[in-house]
Amino acid sequence: MILESTHTTTYIYSQPAVNCHTEVHLHPRAANGQKLLDHRLTITPEPDFTSSRVDCFGNHVSYFSIHEPHTTVTITSRSKVEITASSAPLAALEWESVRDLLKVHASAEEFEACEFVFPSPHVQIGAAYAAYAAPSFPEGKPLSEAVADLSERIFKEFQYDQRATTVTTPVEQVLREKRGVCQDFAHLMIACLRSLGLAARYVSGYLQSGEGSIGAEASHAWVSVFSPGHGWIDIDPTNNVHPCGKHVTVAWGRDYSDVTPVKGVALGGGDQLIDVAVSVRPA
Amino acid sequence: MAEFHHPRRRLCHTVQMNREGTQTSHRLDPRWPYRANPGFYDEIVDQAGTVRPRWRSLAGSLVSIGHESLARRWEEGRRLIHEHGVTYNVYNDPKSNDRPWPVDPVPMLLDGQEWAQIEAAIAQRATLLNAILADLYGPQYLLRSGKLPVETVFPNPHYLRPCRDIQVPGGVHLHVYAADIARSPDGRWWVMADRAQAPSGAGYALENRLVSSRVMPDVYRSMKVQRLAGFFQKFREALLGLVRRNVENPRVVLLTPGPFNETYFEHAFLARYLGYTLVEGGDLSVHDNRVYLKTLGGLLPVDVIMRRQDDNFCDPLELNADSMLGVPGLVQAVRSGNVAMANALGSGLVETATLSAFLEGLSRHMLGEELKMPSVATWWCGHDGPRNYVTNHLDQLVVKPSFPSMGSHPVFGERLSAAQRKEFAAKIQANPTHYVAQEQVAISTAPVWDDGRLAPRHLVLRVYAVASNGSYAVMPGGLTRVTSSLETLVVSMQHGGGSKDTWVLAEQEPQQITLLQPRVNTLEISRATFDLPSRVADNLYWLGRYTERVESAVRIVRTLLLRLFQETGPTLSQAGQAAVPVLQALGYLTLAPGGALPSPAQWEREILNLVFDSETRSSLAFNVHHVRRLAWLLRDRISADAWRILNQLDQQFSGKAPPEALQVNAAQDRLNHAVITLSAFSGMVMESMTHGDGWRFLDIGRRLERGLQMTELLRHGLANVADSDAAGLQMLLEIADCSITYRSRYLNSMQMELVLDLLLLDEANPRSVAYQFGQLRRHIEQLPESQILARRPAEARIALDLLSTVQLANVQELAKSDAQGKRQALESLLSRLSFELRNLSETLSRRYLSHSVASRRLVAP
Repeated sequence: MILESTHTTTYIYSQPAVNCHTEVHLHPRAANGQKLLDHRLTITPEPDFTSSRVDCFGNHVSYFSIHEPHTTVTITSRSKVEITASSAPLAALEWESVRDLLKVHASAEEFEACEFVFPSPHVQIGAAYAAYAAPSFPEGKPLSEAVADLSERIFKEFQYDQRATTVTTPVEQVLREKRGVCQDFAHLMIACLRSLGLAARYVSGYLQSGEGSIGAEASHAWVSVFSPGHGWIDIDPTNNVHPCGKHVTVAWGRDYSDVTPVKGVALGGGDQLIDVAVSVRPA
Repeated sequence: MAEFHHPRRRLCHTVQMNREGTQTSHRLDPRWPYRANPGFYDEIVDQAGTVRPRWRSLAGSLVSIGHESLARRWEEGRRLIHEHGVTYNVYNDPKSNDRPWPVDPVPMLLDGQEWAQIEAAIAQRATLLNAILADLYGPQYLLRSGKLPVETVFPNPHYLRPCRDIQVPGGVHLHVYAADIARSPDGRWWVMADRAQAPSGAGYALENRLVSSRVMPDVYRSMKVQRLAGFFQKFREALLGLVRRNVENPRVVLLTPGPFNETYFEHAFLARYLGYTLVEGGDLSVHDNRVYLKTLGGLLPVDVIMRRQDDNFCDPLELNADSMLGVPGLVQAVRSGNVAMANALGSGLVETATLSAFLEGLSRHMLGEELKMPSVATWWCGHDGPRNYVTNHLDQLVVKPSFPSMGSHPVFGERLSAAQRKEFAAKIQANPTHYVAQEQVAISTAPVWDDGRLAPRHLVLRVYAVASNGSYAVMPGGLTRVTSSLETLVVSMQHGGGSKDTWVLAEQEPQQITLLQPRVNTLEISRATFDLPSRVADNLYWLGRYTERVESAVRIVRTLLLRLFQETGPTLSQAGQAAVPVLQALGYLTLAPGGALPSPAQWEREILNLVFDSETRSSLAFNVHHVRRLAWLLRDRISADAWRILNQLDQQFSGKAPPEALQVNAAQDRLNHAVITLSAFSGMVMESMTHGDGWRFLDIGRRLERGLQMTELLRHGLANVADSDAAGLQMLLEIADCSITYRSRYLNSMQMELVLDLLLLDEANPRSVAYQFGQLRRHIEQLPESQILARRPAEARIALDLLSTVQLANVQELAKSDAQGKRQALESLLSRLSFELRNLSETLSRRYLSHSVASRRLVAP
């Protein structure tokens, strides 16, 4: 299946801003079952400088700066990806064995994964998260079953509520109040998995809208869990599904802070208004 | 799999007898009694009380200098420190944020042989840490192979992922490195801590040397002390080696977090000594992926940034987003190779104490060498064996968080009760990777001069290395810091510790080196001082305004004092009464305006408070202190002499008030001195400062303030003065320092028109309002904007308007008063001038000085 996505971010300032520096994670990366066919990034006003690179997680990052005074900036990312639908791999390994293999990280793959075991700016770890995860992780349970169970519990026990949180809401509050959006549920699930010694990363992307798709009107986020031998298994706790065919992967990192779609610093500008629009449809 | 690790060496707690012999002839002179603490290695005497060979010459010199002379010399030393303005900021000290730098007159001594070992060990360690950084920010073989556990790096907040795979010039991450080393009772040196982020203290070491070599020049010369200048020369070469542009005069800047940083003095001092521009984050800007310095004349390219700011705070875009000190886009510019950083961003990673536990193995693995100086025994609790050792020996250990920013302080096991230890051990068991334990070292002692006698204090020596030709050159000397008492083993300048110069004794006469560059290639003669950061111009402008504000107040108060205190005690003459509204309008008097006239006694109190009180905002001392603070911010811009003058002024006003009976005289004295000191500063500014943009802003500040003060003085002083009030007019002339001019022109005939003409309209009188306007106009036409814009910019129009307004004024009309004695024309002219002057100040600030527009973060999901 081929999906076309358009992600438009607009900043409107009450006073002219100068010297704006922006970094964006908007270029979809090649991923398991995903091939990038086309990507275009359009910025108005025309930036004075642009460059792009690959970050330490393998994501494409673009940087641009605008030095002339301006009152609006529009960043439009258009992408076309081909997705080969696949069923979720079955990780039959017991979750404790996965944890122990990560401690040793004997293979290159396991070494790369072990960076995602540790806490990160938006994801603390600790007994509270381990305790929440515990019912899904009884002794000897295969990893994929345990992860699916945890996702289902989050899906059932937490309420999707766009007004409950912001981009900086700490994950402990999400656990306490049991509400939030896709970003919060992803962070929470990652905190649970890491607290058990498993490697989990944050995936930033888009979700094709349609019946039963929660969180499709903006950029979306879900979780990926490391399973030795299989690589990474994606799971979307907001919709309680294994992404297959409707999810477009853009970038991944330890948490939101590594892959923030658009972040920047500008001088001046007064009050600001941000508008974000995302649409994903089959080509 | 990470290797099991357990420190092999335990520090020796027992004291070994010294092998240096016990000849009685080498005991300390009985006139210099000194008792070393037997539990520790003492630098000057061994266990038998014999003076160690390297100290014998100095011990002899102390005897021949004698107590009194040493005290006198030390007085001189302290004066030098004050005069140089050597300070150290103490956090959370509301009273002032600069404290004199504490130095001890007795230097720390090391002989050449021992030094050679320290030197080799520090160079080796710097090489090793640089190699570790290159690996961790590159291929990460150390982590993959388990030579270093991933737990020391991946969760470490000092591991900066945006800096991964940045190519640093020459593969050098650590350009300057420092180690804190200490000596255990058996005489061996140990590394206590690594400083790899932006090591501080080298400037203080240099300042200590300047002081000790001037206070004890005879001793210093006779002992063949190794010089420090060569190290700084290498330092400069190292940074120049990073320049990529092919230019003859590359720009190196020293990036400071600002005046509130604890070692700001050192930043300013080093910038000046090394010839770099001192900048704050707000002075730099990234344009088109290049770093520029924002100056009055525009943007100037920067080649190398020597940073004294923690790397995490350097760029709010890619690093700590909350940083107000950073330069957005800096990491990207560094990544592109358009600017070099020293030290490289991310180098703070190797300061992590956890790393010490693995250095021995890493040294063997990476350098094929044994570590020449061991780290203080360190156990990382993430491994089972070391953790068990730590929890069983808590009483002998200091436990620290694995990463400093985890927000907890070191825990000294010996200070915990048995129950607390048990509780703490459980905490470690719960989160073992978060803790690292180090042996508490019984660190050595050296004598300090304490209240006229020698007393032992514990010490830690900071040694510096700089990357030089593929290796590291070590500063022959360093910063010795001593504890505040013998009871503590923690050396902290924040908690009352002191410092010493460190003398490394040479076998031969040391070489003379000066930092003045030899003529290699001739530079183009350049008359412009283009690199004036807008922030500096702003400070100079306010320095000009405040010195003038102080001078004006001093003159007014002095004139009043003379008139108030007559033989008969405090009385208030008619002229004195005329001064009340002037002082009130200028904000010097706390009395409510328009209220009942104070009694002469109240007057006396008010005036004397102005001179002696330093707490009230309106007092002279307060304003003088502000002048000193501005000058302090400009230490790298104004001459040492100009600084000395303003420092002296501050001292003149910081003395205690004399007994009440003597206050009038003392005040008179203080004010007379202040007038002279201020004149010295004006003279220095006119004659010794290059008349570039910096000077121009200082003088604009001065002219603008003098114009304002004179305008207000005339407005309030002449409003109530009748034509016939000769005494009132006389007083105004005196305040304006124009009595002599007036008398030479008009003899003793006091006339309103004549006074007005001289003080307001006479363009040849440097104290008149018209003169200030003429100067302002001339300065503003020289400013960069006026040179570029075809149309006269707003500030130039205001200045021209001010000047022509007074040029066109008619003095007879201004002097006319109505039936109530009010001079309407004069009042409306003066209030317009006053308004326009303030307008001018704002316009200038907006155009040139407002560099500090707040930046904002943008985040979009």
